[in-house]
Formats: sequence, structure tokens, C-alpha cells
Amino acid sequence: MVSEEPPGSLRESGPSTPAHGGAPHASASPSAGTPAAGTGELPTRVRPSGLAEAADALTDAASARRTVLIEGAGTALEWGAPVAAPDVVVETSGLDRLISHAPEDWTVGVEAGMPLTRLQELLAPAGQWLPVDPPTASGGATLGGLLACGDAGPRRLKYGGVGDLVIGATLVLPDGTVARSGGDVIKNVAGYDLAKLMAGSLGAFGLVARLNLRVHPLPEATVTLALEADDAARALDAARAVLRSPLEPVAVEWDGRQVLIRFQGTAESAAARARLAPEIPGLAAARALDSEAEQAAWRRLSERTRGEDGETVLRAATSPARLPRLAERLRELTEDTPVEARLLSGLAQGLHTVVLSGGDAAQHAACLTAWRDAVYEAGGSATLRRRREGVDEAADAWGPAPSALAVLRSLKRQFDPGGRCAPGRFAPWF
Amino acid sequence: MIDAALRREFEAALGADAVLSDPLQLRTYECDGLTGFREVPALVVLPRSTEEVAAAVSLCAREGLPFVARGAGTGLSGGAVPVAQGVVVSLARMRQVLELDPEDRRMVLQPGVTNAEISRVAAPHGLYYAPDPSSQVVCTIGGNVAENSGGAHCVKYGFTVHHVTGLRVVLPDGSVADLGGDAPESPGPDLRGLFIGSEGTLGIATEITVRLLRVPETVRTLVADFPTVEAAGEAVSAIMASGIVPAAVEMLDSLAIEACEAAVHAGYSLETTAALVVELDGMEHECDEQFERVVALCHEKGTSHVRIATTDAERALIWKGRKAAFAAVGRISPDYFVQDGVVPRTRLSEALTRIAEMSRTEGLRVANVFHAGDGNLHPLVLFDEQAGEAERAERLAAEIAEMCVELGGSLSGEHGIGLDKACSMPEMFGETDLAVMRRLRTAFDPDALANPGKVLPTPRLCGEAPGRYRPHPLEAAGVIERW
Repeated sequence: MVSEEPPGSLRESGPSTPAHGGAPHASASPSAGTPAAGTGELPTRVRPSGLAEAADALTDAASARRTVLIEGAGTALEWGAPVAAPDVVVETSGLDRLISHAPEDWTVGVEAGMPLTRLQELLAPAGQWLPVDPPTASGGATLGGLLACGDAGPRRLKYGGVGDLVIGATLVLPDGTVARSGGDVIKNVAGYDLAKLMAGSLGAFGLVARLNLRVHPLPEATVTLALEADDAARALDAARAVLRSPLEPVAVEWDGRQVLIRFQGTAESAAARARLAPEIPGLAAARALDSEAEQAAWRRLSERTRGEDGETVLRAATSPARLPRLAERLRELTEDTPVEARLLSGLAQGLHTVVLSGGDAAQHAACLTAWRDAVYEAGGSATLRRRREGVDEAADAWGPAPSALAVLRSLKRQFDPGGRCAPGRFAPWF
Repeated sequence: MIDAALRREFEAALGADAVLSDPLQLRTYECDGLTGFREVPALVVLPRSTEEVAAAVSLCAREGLPFVARGAGTGLSGGAVPVAQGVVVSLARMRQVLELDPEDRRMVLQPGVTNAEISRVAAPHGLYYAPDPSSQVVCTIGGNVAENSGGAHCVKYGFTVHHVTGLRVVLPDGSVADLGGDAPESPGPDLRGLFIGSEGTLGIATEITVRLLRVPETVRTLVADFPTVEAAGEAVSAIMASGIVPAAVEMLDSLAIEACEAAVHAGYSLETTAALVVELDGMEHECDEQFERVVALCHEKGTSHVRIATTDAERALIWKGRKAAFAAVGRISPDYFVQDGVVPRTRLSEALTRIAEMSRTEGLRVANVFHAGDGNLHPLVLFDEQAGEAERAERLAAEIAEMCVELGGSLSGEHGIGLDKACSMPEMFGETDLAVMRRLRTAFDPDALANPGKVLPTPRLCGEAPGRYRPHPLEAAGVIERW
């Protein structure tokens, strides 16, 4: 079932000649992208079509001491601090093959540039899926990118994120070294789990070339209930009520206006859950959405979580109980300002998204900084995912340094001593 | 060397009663659950808090002393075996539940709290902690974090790494850091995930935040007897292919059943060749619907008898029998080794056939009791040390683990690599892979003081040639070079 690497040289791509250039990358001239630091030159874009070419690309960049940005679908290039204009952009879109699928073992092996939506198409005929529903999926988010961003959607409540489903990984380190950890089986504790180093690394520790993943059976049916709630405390109460019940929701989200509660299971049990949920005290007003409305509701939640150009998006993680206080703080901060703030929350897990619109960059910066302070005071942490132009001049991209800063710096020295991969992404931490 | 002056420094930091140096007392710590490896430490310290662990580790760092963290010592891979002239940091006195938040369904624990205690404390709130290693009554959450422990219910609920959201750790230089947090996202690489399962080689977890789950509304459990191991294996495949995610699927062969029955009289049939324990849990409505399908599938695959637990007591007895299997083997053999290899589930029958052949070749009996749902085997190699069978048994156990790798699996599903399987790591990983893992280790512990000699093979342990060299598949394909 394993397909072999096709022969052939590394492909170059740019907007004008996508993916079909035959010239070896070493002699490639710069193509599209942001200008390289100081020089005004555009970065060289390379698009390896297999593990060996990916390793070559990073080895070559290392020997030429070039800085590197690894790019999947580009749905999360703004996350964290801005990356200084790189010399080389390594696109992972050419690493998109299925390597193996063993339906009976519940495992799949893929090249990590494969978009999540493509993997779902490949798994569906076997009645399986990778149980993640991140907001960036519709933008073509790749599996490696999702791992590197630590991103996940509402169903993280039941299944965790991509990082929780990885059973094996093949990485290309910034110096071109190819390393493998984990394996092909769904239970395995042999050796360090290098995939965890990539999870949340935002491309600063290397390239995820291949992933082995645990897949799950597709649920026979899903059903979603919506409950109006424009108040954070009320939304949280509703979430807690359904979590205390035996109905086992797979997602409980609040978009600032309503609480969405998702159930799944066999057709019969999903229907039973939808029938029983309104009997839970506090949920009497919850109404089941029809299939079309259900799709639309979750699609809209994804859109609202992603934000749009010109908006500033901050993602925060705290214990769920902190939500009402954080909502109140946000209201105080935007009151009497032209800034409009939208707060969404994964109520069961304490994952909050704030989207700022209106006002100017300085006002966004002031609001995000002050609200982030409140998050850290509540024992949480935050990642900037998107910003209105100009926000970076007025606000730090990251909050207070984590207590594990020395370890992070030490890891960066071990894996990317030249600081060439995604330079600036975690500035000023490392 | 730990002289009297240094010992007094440990005593000043932790209190005289928290430092053991009497040879007789030290001997208590010479091994863990894998009793074949023994080493007496130079000193044992018993801290009560993160600060005291940090103080002890700081002294070790200053003096260049290797240290080994120890929970209940139930590990089965020699992961807590002391280092000669080193310090053992026992977490046995750190048994406090620091926080319980039933609304946010989380608990903060000191590392010496036992796995079973977590669920016991959470129970009044209708909550529990999902990972349930067989030793759960004794083993500690700190040890579970070190080993990324699983248990019988992993196939549905995952491992320790899926249930621990945050860690306060003492790093090998004595500094304290928080990894992860209350929620499942935090900026930067997932240091929490890296630390869990690192077998004490990256530091010592001193405060552990776990998430709790609501106790399922219903649990349904059955034992199905099968005339052959293959038929039982087919039933497992049929269940897993049906779209049902069972809470647990366990298999016992006749020798394992014999041992269990001799020990706890759990009601397993002595006449059957293989028995499957299948458990479903969840919302009553769904559980009952799926349970009927499981029973039907067992019949379809030729079960000779299905016994359904009708009371909680009956279910508890089935699990008591299953979880007592390792210790129970003592009833039918003076000594045994337990292995922990994993194979892809579809290759279970093949693996069992090969284990039977290997067992015949070595002339030693092997009992099989395992997590069939995820392919995690636990072959028990029975032997008599008095009769000089130990060396053969050790060889057979290692061969079984390596066969699992050959079949596309792993050396260990949940017991860890420890000292026991460190020299087999080159069977599973290439030299480059191991070198990169070493880089990671170095980033946390540049002087290699935290549990040295575990997980990664060393020339001292495994001979100058680190195990049998096998080219990495990429290397064989000419894609990468060996340095």
C-alpha cells in the first residue's frame, strides 16, 4: 500500500508558474512573496513533492544559511508574531499523497501537506474520518499545518486536536535531518513523541513531512440544538447543565448570541438525545436545528471564529469558569470606544476567541493588550491569530513569557541553532 | 559521592526524616515491578512539596548526581531502577489532592496520589478519571505521567496524555516550570505532551492537572468464549468494523484463564481456548442498542457461550479477574516476565501463532492476556529461575517484543521502554531518530542527570555496538544517509 517516491527534481513554484517548473531549486531565481529582509528581494519559493525533496530543500537552506518559512495552505500564516521576510518559502502542497490506509486498524498514513478536507474524502468510503473540525478546514488547511498550529474545532471536546490523533510522524528538522517518532499502531509509548514538539510550534522547529493518524468511525447521525443566550454567565450555565447530563455532547459552543450543543451517535440515539435535552433544567428553550440549519450554524461559527481582513483575533485559553469575568472585562474595555468586540467560547473547555472590528489599530492594540492581561491574571494564555494592519507597532504579539522559557530556548538551540525557521515567530521569547 | 556533609545539606533542605541513607532502608528501593534489574541508590529523599523536590534536584544538579524519581514502584520496564551512587526522589509523601473543581471537571494532584484515588475522590460529583492501568489501586498519577499509562479502556478514552492538561515540573537543573494549563491549548510547542511519557528523563512532575469525565450512564459487559484464538480475533475485528467504539475489548487465552481462576475465581470458563471481555459504556439508549449488535457479532463468529454481567458486582468480578492476571500467573509458575508489545490489530492472530511457535522452540510456556481492541499484547513468559530458565525466558521475551516491531507494531504499548527495552530501541528506530530524541533530551537535561540509562540505548548498557543495526527504510531507499 505504500507508494514510492516518484523520481524527479524539486519543483519550483510561483504564482505565474505554479508547480511545474523543472529547474533544480538551487539555481532558482526568486519568485513571489514578501521581500526578503533589507534587500527588497522576493523569497525563493520551493515546492518539494516528497520527503526526500523536502529534506533537500531544508538541507540546502541550512548550508546557505537562509531563513525559511514553511507554508501549508497559508490559513494561519499570521498566527503569533510576524515572521521577518524569509529567504526561502517551502510550500508543503506538493506533499499531498496518501501513503496507507488500514481501515480495520483505524489508521491512515499521509504526507502532511494534504488538506484535511481531502483526507476526509479519502476516508469517507470506509465509513471513517479524522474527527476534527477546525475553522480553517474550508480554507484548505493541511494536516501538518493543523498540527503546527495546534488548532482544532468544536469537537475537540470529544476527540482532542490533530496532535491527539497523531500516532507517528516523520519530520524534517531545520538542518535537513529526517527523523521519525511513534509508529503505525494506535497504542505506543516507545521513545519521545517528536510530534508534540511540532504541535503548536508554528513552523519554528521544522517541517512535518508525514503523519500517521488514528481515524474514527463516522458517526451515523449528528444533531445540534441551539439556545439563545446573549449573556456569558447564562451560556456557561447551559453548558454545565448539558455536561452534567448523561447525554454526552460532542461540542458545546457559544457565539455570543446562542449556545450550540452538538450530539452524535446512531440515528436513533442522536434523535433520543435531541428529544431529551430540552428536559434538562435550563435548556427548555433549546430547539433542534434541521440538517441544513445545523450545517449553516457550524459554518457560521467557523467564519466568526476566523475573523476577516481588518479584524484582530485573539485566542485565549483559561478554565471555563473564567468566562463571565473575561466577558465583563471585554465589555468594559470596548465601552465608549468605536471598537466592537465579539466573544466566542468553547464553553466546556475554556477556549475563547475575541474578534475586534471597528476603531483603529491603536485602539485594537490597547484592547487586546488589556484583555490579554486579564486572561493571564486568570491563569490563562493567549495567541494572536490575526491583526488589523498597524497593531504590531502598538502591541506585543505575545503576552508574558511562559515559565518554561528556558526549555523553549534550549529546544530552539538544539533544533534550530541558527534561528532560521520562522524567524521572529515567537519574538521576544526566542 | 555523597559524603556526610552533602547528606546534611539534603537533611537541612528536606528535614532529617526525609533523607534515608541506612543501607537496609536503601535496599527497599533497589528495584521496581520488574525485579530482574536491581541497583541500590546512595540516598533516598522523600520531599513533601514542589519546593522540596526543587531543593533536592538543585543539590543533585550542583553535585552532578544522577537522580531517579519514583512513585509506587509498580512499573514493569525498570523505569524506576536507581542509578548506582545516585539519589532516588520518592514522591510517596506527596499525596494531596490540591484542588477539585467539579464544575470545570478538573483536579490538581500531587504526584503520589494513586490512580484509583482520583476517581474515588471525584465519585461524589458523578465524575471519574478515565485511564485505568491494571495496577491502579497502587500506582500513582506521577508514575502514570512518566509512563503515559493506558489501561483497558484506551481504545475509547485514550491515554494519560489525553487526560492531563497541565503539569508543574521540576526540571533537571532544579528550576520549576508550568507546562500546559487548565485548557487544552497553550502557546508554543506542546511541552506538556513531550513530558508525558518521557519516563522521568526530562524532570519530575510535582503538580498534575487532570480532566475528569462524567461517569457514563450505563456500562454493559460480557464475556464471550471462543473455540479458537483466531475466532476470538475475528470477533474483535467484526466489532471494530461495525462502527462501534467499545470502551474495552480484552482477550485471555486458556493459560491466562487458568491462572486468573486459580487466583480470584472470577467465573471464566476453564474449558475455553479464548475468552473475550467486551465492555460498552455511554448513554443507556445507545449502549443497549450497540450491545445487542456486539452479542450478535460474537454469535456470528462462533462463540460457544456468552455471559453477560447483570450486576455491578458481577462486572467488577470480571475485571478483577482480568486485572489480576499478571499477579495470578504466580499461581501457575514460580517466575514470569511480562511483555508489552503492540501489533496492528489485523495481525493479532499471526502474532499469537508466532508466539506459540517461539514458546515451543524455547520450551517455555507463554500465557496471553491483552488489550485486543488496540493490539497491545501482554504475553507472560513463564519460567523457573531455580531451574536455570531465566536467561532463556529473557531471550524469549525480547524476541517477542522485537517480533511486534517486525509486524509493524511497537516495543511497548503502555509499560514504557525503561531499562528493560532500551537496548531494543534500535529495532524500532534508526540511528538518526534516536540521535534526534537525544537532542530533545539534551535540551531539557544537558548533563543527563534525570533517570539516565532509560529509554535511549547507551553503549555502557547495550555494548559498544548499540543493538543490532537495521537501516532506516529511507536509508535503504537511498533517500537519507547514515552519519
